[in-house]
Amino acid sequence: MAAFDYRQAEEIRRVFAGHGVRYLFIGASGAVLLGYPDTTQDADLFVDKSPSNCQAVVSALRALGFHLTSDQATEILRGKDFVQLKNGPFDIDLVFAPDGIERFEDAWQRRIEVEGFPVCHLDDIIASKRAANRRKDLESLPRLMSFRQYWTARNRK
Amino acid sequence: MEEPALSSELTPELLEEFEAASRRSLATRINYSFIRTYKPVLDDAPFRSFNTMAEYRQWCEENLPDWLGYGRV
Repeated sequence: MAAFDYRQAEEIRRVFAGHGVRYLFIGASGAVLLGYPDTTQDADLFVDKSPSNCQAVVSALRALGFHLTSDQATEILRGKDFVQLKNGPFDIDLVFAPDGIERFEDAWQRRIEVEGFPVCHLDDIIASKRAANRRKDLESLPRLMSFRQYWTARNRK
Repeated sequence: MEEPALSSELTPELLEEFEAASRRSLATRINYSFIRTYKPVLDDAPFRSFNTMAEYRQWCEENLPDWLGYGRV
């Protein structure tokens, strides 16, 4: 499978909007949308866990070409915290309860819109990486914190 | 392994990198950033779900090679 690309990001934006999905790009993929130069592999989406939104996610994923069995769809509808999808045109991680962020609604209020892409605020991305406390996150945090300095100053102008 | 420091120094080199990135279009930034490499175990199933993040973290620690960096510090 090829790497995730802009055209696929546009597809997510279009199809998720069409199905009324409430979601935010999070993690390294979110930081990239905010301007952070880095490499990453999967698109990480923070998704509102409400039953109606989970139903919308299942419909949207199928419209995007993900081959969800009825059991897999049920798993999403049951409200899992984390779902890893590698059964579609690109890989997606659905995060319903990221570490370090209390409620989707809080992150939604703080979101940044980048050309129609809803993205977690950089402080939420950093908070979730800090709280996850994984080796790979902690190694990447100093550079991300440096970007925060740059990004904050730039947005003040 | 020593725990990485969480300092946030904005060196001239980093500033230059960030400025350069800011001049690229969103499409270019995305196309430059996403890469594809095989991750053992993690990439070997088409679908996984976890009831809680703690359960997911534990699964990563018990099943993924350490060098992937998914283990908690």
